[in-house]
Parts: sequence; C-alpha cells; structure tokens
Amino acid sequence: MSGAAAVASVPAPVRRSTMERRRLWALWGSYAALAVFVVTFLVPPYYVLATSLKTDADIAAQVGNPWLIHHVTFQNYIDLFMMPNFRGYFLNSAMIAAVTVSVSMVISVMAAYGLSRLGFKGSAVLGSGVFLTYLIPDSLLFIPLFQVVRMLGLINKVWCLALIYPTLAVPFCTWIMIGYFGSIPKELDEVALIDGAGYLRTLWSIFIPVALPGIIAATIFAFTVSWGEFLYPIAYLYSSDQKVLTVGIAGDLIRGDVFQWGKIMAGCVIAAAPPIVIYAFLMDYYIAGLTAGATKG
Amino acid sequence: MADGSPVAADPPSRVRRRRSGMRRLLQRRSTVGVLFCLPMIVLIGGLVLYPACYALYLAMLNRRMTQFVGLGNFAFLLQRQTFRLVIFQSCLFAVSAVLLKAFFGFILAHLMSNIPSGRQRIWRGLLLVPWVIPLALSTLGWWWLFDPSYSAFNYVLQDLGFAPIPWLGVAWPARLCMITVNVWFGTSFFMIMYLAALKSVPEQLYEAASIDGAGTFQKMFYITVPMIRNIISVTVLYSLIVTFSNFDIVRILTNGGPEDKTHVFATYAFQVGIQSGDIPLGASVSLFMFPLLAVFAYFVLRNVTRRGKEMAL
Amino acid sequence: MVSKVTRRRALKIGAAASALPLVHIRTAGAAGKVSIVFYDAWVPAGNIALKKQVDAFAEKNKVEVQADFLSTANNQIVITENAEAQAKAGHDAYSFATWEAPSHLDDLEPMDDVMARLAPKIGQPNATAAYLAKKDGHWMAVPTSSGAQVKGPCGRISILRDAAGLDVTKMFPASPSSPGLDTWNWDTFLKAAEACAKVGKPFGIGLGTTGDSSDSAGCLFASFGAELVNAKGDLTVRTDAVRQALEYAQRLVKFLPSNAVSYDDASNNRVLISGQSALIFNPPSAWAVAVHDNPPVGADCWHFPPPAGPKGRFVPIAAYFWGVWKFAKNKSAAKDLIEYLSQREQSEERCNATMGYDMPPWPSMMDFKVWETEGPPQGTLYNYPIRPWHKDVPLVSGSPAPPSIGVEIYNRGTMPTMMAKLLSGQSINDVMAWAENELEGFKR
Repeated sequence: MSGAAAVASVPAPVRRSTMERRRLWALWGSYAALAVFVVTFLVPPYYVLATSLKTDADIAAQVGNPWLIHHVTFQNYIDLFMMPNFRGYFLNSAMIAAVTVSVSMVISVMAAYGLSRLGFKGSAVLGSGVFLTYLIPDSLLFIPLFQVVRMLGLINKVWCLALIYPTLAVPFCTWIMIGYFGSIPKELDEVALIDGAGYLRTLWSIFIPVALPGIIAATIFAFTVSWGEFLYPIAYLYSSDQKVLTVGIAGDLIRGDVFQWGKIMAGCVIAAAPPIVIYAFLMDYYIAGLTAGATKG
Repeated sequence: MADGSPVAADPPSRVRRRRSGMRRLLQRRSTVGVLFCLPMIVLIGGLVLYPACYALYLAMLNRRMTQFVGLGNFAFLLQRQTFRLVIFQSCLFAVSAVLLKAFFGFILAHLMSNIPSGRQRIWRGLLLVPWVIPLALSTLGWWWLFDPSYSAFNYVLQDLGFAPIPWLGVAWPARLCMITVNVWFGTSFFMIMYLAALKSVPEQLYEAASIDGAGTFQKMFYITVPMIRNIISVTVLYSLIVTFSNFDIVRILTNGGPEDKTHVFATYAFQVGIQSGDIPLGASVSLFMFPLLAVFAYFVLRNVTRRGKEMAL
Repeated sequence: MVSKVTRRRALKIGAAASALPLVHIRTAGAAGKVSIVFYDAWVPAGNIALKKQVDAFAEKNKVEVQADFLSTANNQIVITENAEAQAKAGHDAYSFATWEAPSHLDDLEPMDDVMARLAPKIGQPNATAAYLAKKDGHWMAVPTSSGAQVKGPCGRISILRDAAGLDVTKMFPASPSSPGLDTWNWDTFLKAAEACAKVGKPFGIGLGTTGDSSDSAGCLFASFGAELVNAKGDLTVRTDAVRQALEYAQRLVKFLPSNAVSYDDASNNRVLISGQSALIFNPPSAWAVAVHDNPPVGADCWHFPPPAGPKGRFVPIAAYFWGVWKFAKNKSAAKDLIEYLSQREQSEERCNATMGYDMPPWPSMMDFKVWETEGPPQGTLYNYPIRPWHKDVPLVSGSPAPPSIGVEIYNRGTMPTMMAKLLSGQSINDVMAWAENELEGFKR
C-alpha cells in the first residue's frame, strides 16, 4: 500500500508519513500503557520476591524501607529446596496438573462438539446444567463430596484431585469451546461429512485447528485452576507424601500462629514460576499455529 | 429442516443411495452427540450432582439436622442485620470487581494485540504473574502490604509526607482493598480469554472495515465485540459466579472485619457454619445467591447457544 | 539446670520448614488397627514426642496405629473434622479444639470410663473441660494437654519497667509466690497501657474477630462479671456488669494501636517480635520465635497472669480434647490409646518437647519442671501455667453461655467487636443494642 502511494504526487508522502507516524504513536502508546499495567500488577509480586530474599531477622524487625532488601539471602530458597517434603509437593502438583489438563480438555472438547454441533434432545438443559455446578461453592460442596471420595477409597490419596479438578475446569472449558465452535460455519462440517469423514475426524482435522486459540486458553485455565486450588487438597489430603504445593507450603510453614514469612514468600515465587514459563511458551505456540494453519474462509 | 429434507420427486438410484446414507448418518447424529457428551455427564453427574443435591438438602435442615425446615433458614438469615450487610458487600465486591476486570482485561488484550507478536511473549508473561500465584499465597503477600502495624504502602505514603491509611481497619478502605486484590488477581484471566478471542477474529474483517473508513472505536464496536460476544458472556458469567463465592481474600485480609464490614457469603458461611457447628445455616448462606445466579446463567448461556446457531447458518 | 533456648533449639523453631514428613505412622501390630488425628504442633518437636509415645503404645499393645497430623493453618483440622462427622466415616479418634468439642458431642462416644480410670492418677480436669465436653453429665471427650495453651499476657520487661514503672520480674518472680498479684488489676493495666502508648510501644491487644482477640476481650469481660448470655441461654447484655466492662473498655481502647481492629492471630506476635509492643496476650509461641528472630526482644519477655477485675482474675485458655467418633471401628483401642497418652508422664514429655507451650487441663500437672527452666530469660514461663497461688480461673471466652451460643460469640468475635465499636466512637447503648441483635441470631 505504501509502495503504491510512493509513486503518487506530492501530497501522498505527507499522508503516508502521517499514517506511519500515527501507527508509531499507537505502538508506543500501547507500550506505555502496558508498562503502566505491568508496573501496577507487579508491585505485590515484587514485594513477595523481596521479602523472600530477606533474613528472618530483617522481616521480624520491621524497620527501614520494606521495599529494599538490606541483607540479601538465598537461605529461604535453599531451605525450601532442601526440604524433602517440598520436592514431593512440587511433583504432586505437576503430576495432577498434567492429568487434569489432559482429562479436562478431552472431555470438554468432545462435550462442546456434542452440544454445539450434534444437538440432541435436552442438550440445552444439559449444557446449562453443567455450568450451574459452579453455583455450589467448593466451600460447601466439599462436605458431601467427602463421602463420594471416601467411597472411592481416595481420601488422602493425591489422585482424588485428578478426579475432582476436572469437575472444576470442564464446565467453563466446555462453554468456551462451544463459543468457538459456534463461530465455525456449518457448511464446513457438512462438506466433511459428505466427503466421508466421521465425526471424530471432523472434530480433529477441522474444529480443533480452527478453535486452537480457544483450546489453548482453556488449557491455561484448566492448568491454573488445578495448580492453585486450595480447599479440596486441604480437606482431603493429610500425609506429606500426598499433599500438593499450595497446601504443603501453607501447612508446613504456618503452624499455629507462627508464620515462616520468608519461606512462605519464597514458596509463592517457586509456585508461580512453572505456570508462567509454560504459559509464555504455550501462547507462543498457538500464535505460530494460528498464523501457519488456520485460515478461515 | 435445514438438513434432512431430501430432494423431492423420484430420485435416481445413486441419489437414493446417498439419501439413505445421509439419513442413517443423521439418525445417528443425536446418539453420537450423547456419546460425545457422555464423559462429561458421568464426571459431573457422579462427582458434582449427587453432592450438590445433598448440599441443597442440607441447606433446608435445622441446626441439629433432625428436621426439614424448607426455606426456614433463609427466612432466619434475612432477619439478621449482619447477613443483610453480607448480601450488600458480596454484591458490591462481585459486581464492581467483575466490571473492572472485564474492562481492564479488554483494554489489555487490545494493547497486547497492537504489539508485534514476537515481542508479546515477555509482556504476556509479566501480566500473567498475578493470576498464576495461588491466590491463598499471594493474598498473604498483600496482607503484608496492608499490614496493620507496618504496611509497606504506608511507608511510601509517610515518606511522601502523607498520613498512614488504616487499610484494613476502617470499613471503606478495607472494602476497596478487597476489590483491588480481586481485580489484581482476575484481570489476567480476562486478558487471556479476550486475547484468544481476538485472535480468532479474521483480519479480513478489520481490513475491509478500514477500507470503508472505519475508525478504531467503530471497529471495536461493530466487529470485535459482536464476534467475541460469546466469549465475553461466558467469561463474565463465570467470573461473576466465582467472585461471589470467593473466600480466601476476605478470610486472609480481614476475616470479615472490621465490624463485619467486609464479610462475604463464603466467609460468613464458614464462621456460622463450620466454625460454629451449624452446617445447615452455613449451607444456606453459601447457596443464597443460587436462584438469582442460576436464572442469570440460564439466560446468558441460552443467548450464547442462540448466537452460535445464528452465526453458523 | 538452665535449659536455655540454645541456638540449636531456637533453630528447631526456625527449621519448622524442614518438618518431618507427616506420613501415616503405621506401627506394627498384630491385633487391630486404630486411626487418630492429632493437632500438628506449632513446633515439630512436639509431633516427634507424640509419635514416640504412639509407637510405644502400639508396641506394648500390639495394635497398629495410624496417626495423622492435621494443621490449624487454613483450618485444615476443622474442615476435615466436619467432613468426617457428616460422612459418618473417617478416623477412629480425633483432636478437637476448644469449641469444636461441644459442636460434635452428639457424634462422639462417651468417655466416662476413661475419665474414671484417669481420675485416681491425675485427678479431675479444670471446670472449663466439663463445660465444653460434658453432655448430660457424661464425659464425651477427654481433655488433653496437646495443643492446649494459656493466652495470658506476655510483656516486655524493660519497657514495662521504664515506661510504666512495673517490674514484672519482681511482681511475678520465678518462685512460688507472686507479690504483684494484689496490685495487678485493670486500673494498673490501664495506666500501664497509657504509659506505654505514650512512648510508642502500645499494648498489642487485638480487636479483630480471630481467636486471640476474642480471648483477650473475654478475659476483660469475665473479670467484671459481664456475661453476654448467661448459662441458661438468656441474653444478659443490658446488665450493670456489662456496662462496667464497656465503660472500662472505652477508656482502654484509646491506648491500643489504631489498627488493632484488623489484627489476626499472627499480628500480635509480629508486633511483639518486632519490638513495637510492650505487651500482648499470647502463649509462648511469640516469645520463642522472638528468641530466634530478634534475640534482644526475646530475652526481654516475661509471662504472667492477667489483671484482676471486680469479679476475679480469669485467664483465657484454649482447650483441646481427644474424642472417639461414634462410627469408629475400633473404639476400645482408641480409648486405650487416649488413656495412655493422657498420663502425667506422657503429658510432661510432650510439654518438654514443646518448650512449655502445652498447658495440661489437669490442676495436678501444674508443676512441670520445664516452666522453671525455659529461657532466656530463665523463669519467663514460670508464671505461664495456672499456678495455685495465682488464684485465677481458667476461662473459655464465651462461657458460661450454652456452648451452641458460646461458640458463635467466640468465632464471630462479638466481644472484641463491641470494643472496636467503642473505639470507632459508638456509644455504649448503641453497642449494647447491636450486641443484642447479634446474639439473638445465635440462638438457633
């Protein structure tokens, strides 16, 4: 576009540089605004990080500038990594998160396809009903659910979470996928059907690639829910080898009214790191996938 | 209907074969549909439906759980001054927090999509931080920032010459703190959802609109919002439901104080229910918003399916 | 022999992070299994001592014992307890905190037999145990020292002496008489609070809704004879005693930190450890951490009884109970285990391991050596337990109301909230009216 304009008469270059200048302004403006958001968002995490690098004495003393670290120490991190329990918590969390994500995504995508495309009597009620499960807060649901988990013999076994977490993620993921699938023209699947593709193949080769941003977003959601969930592990897991990261940190480092603040903050940092790394890469992947494959119309 | 009405009149044999094949396929469609939904039905039915029904039943028992009292618990609650405060505060937090999160998330998603994709990664990573730290732990960090005796925020204020603010000690500042922490935590979620949704809006639409001379805001209102309205609806609905039942933020920061001015359903339910040995009352508090939210959810989801059907035609 | 809090012992607290794995302890046993939940001690050494005792029991009785330690952080132990009670399935025996016991008496097995067997050896427990764990005259749970604590004052010796003129080491020395008892009342307390507030080290008494705040407020109310709800369950808010208590509170709250209304259970610990407060109401956990994190402050702490009011001296306690669920599979082994662990020898062993924090509910056990020897400063815990010459009454804040009401008074923080309202400027009549409305709601 700019190339063509370059050949034009005198007014054109002025218009072009105005447009480019406007675009540059938009770009720099975006960066500036983003920077403001980033700074605001990161104030508490910075504080958590700073506190995790302070000695217990510094934290207890409460003098001086709390935003600065007077004596940097990595002792809190070292102690956490040396804690035999801690590694176990981490592994448990990772394992459960991986299983939760896989199970949730498979169930959600299939259910979303079934509900949005393969309508059947009562699908509307089913779809809404599934979402209504969020209306019973887990701070209430855990009590009767305890009985169910007990019957399955899974109390104090970390695998009970692999069953429970999907129930937290599936309704939302399903509806997100319904939203994405809904915007895919029906002609696409009819063509595929006529060509002889089965439902599964249609789902796999047409719907999933086109709805990939939604799938990635839903995956991120499922992972975060699984990683950060607190109440169910607190209620159903008591042995150290079964606990997950969130409740392990809280339970080991908060005893009675004694809080090991430095280590708790270090635990926060360690708990936050893997998701951020994974997401940063995951979202890259879908952008790449999107620009490469997904052409619509 | 759209697909199924076969061609009229006498079809040649090849078409007849195709037609019966189609019909068989279509006949199987609904069963296939059920099959695809089966895992979800089993999972939710087994692990949520039964406990949920029991929870609803619990909310209608008396304290000693010997008698069925129907809606008696709810009537009792409405007479309590503290509970009316809880209703007000929960609605205040949930509605304002969700509106703010949706608003900021939307802005962030747009800002993010303005930036070349290569550079996005680091900004995305940074902005995701609040959401990925488990809330129960990050709230402890916030507690330190608002700490009664040595707030890090007050340190800065005092350095600049202002008086220290009793963040959690006075009703309205405490409420603002709750909303702030909630918004801080949840905006990233909205951003992620919107960003993914924005990615799925075809570029061609924007280009076509630009050629027609549409400005930024017009593009936003006439292209973006309608295209991603489904995602917006589902995300807002989910966030509203979940924010109404938020527990950790209030419990860790103020435990409902000062003078019950920050209590929400979940924390109040915990105090009168589990801590005081009156599970049915706690259940009633937890389920108070159920009817209203259920109706709201029904309408939102119905619109999503309807729009989905419309768009696909 | 001075058992100082040596660096190694102090590290034990700091190293709570490297806690031993809380695994199921499965002890080898031929006959039967029994499972029990214990409260996860604030210092891991307490758990170790308990584990050893459980092992010894299992060995002797050839029973397999599965012991799980549940934390009070995020109310884990309370949450699981309610889930098990509802499901009527879970462990055989459980540890109940103060107000948890009365809430579940209907789900527990009577323990009269165990109490009868313990009585000749260790006597009767204090009156609060009966208030909380007896139903229709039957013991439904056995009070225990594990986790039980006294929540009386812990003060800074130097500040109280220099600013307020009170030398607590002389008032409550580490010897069997406390000369300071006669002069230690709420008036002296008020003067000291004012003096310390003036030098910028106010008394860190919370007005929030968590346990610590309820306990200190309850102590104040009880010593004026102020009952919000009497033993029969009638509202007695508009009485002279309550009015007197509120009038005093109105004067006291002026000298408390302005942010006292947002204190939680760890806030008072922090103000003491950081050296910003002259006195808090807390068990020795705060002092022990101070010794580790801020030694000059730690060595300057002293524990002593609370002030007396017109109706006596009441010391707030937190009680713990061991009970056997009605649905337990092995009730006899559970009862035997509990009986074994309640003996004096075992209680003392655990008390030593927790550095004197455990406060046995049995008056016969108020003479453990550990309270004489713990330090620095040595003798700081001498007056921590309820000594006979203190003539103080152990108190559960919220009593003597019927436990179903008392539990809400405690957990909803009614008394400290009344004081908080006074601080925010409401009149005594308004506060009383509010309290009446609140308490009406507790009668269900």
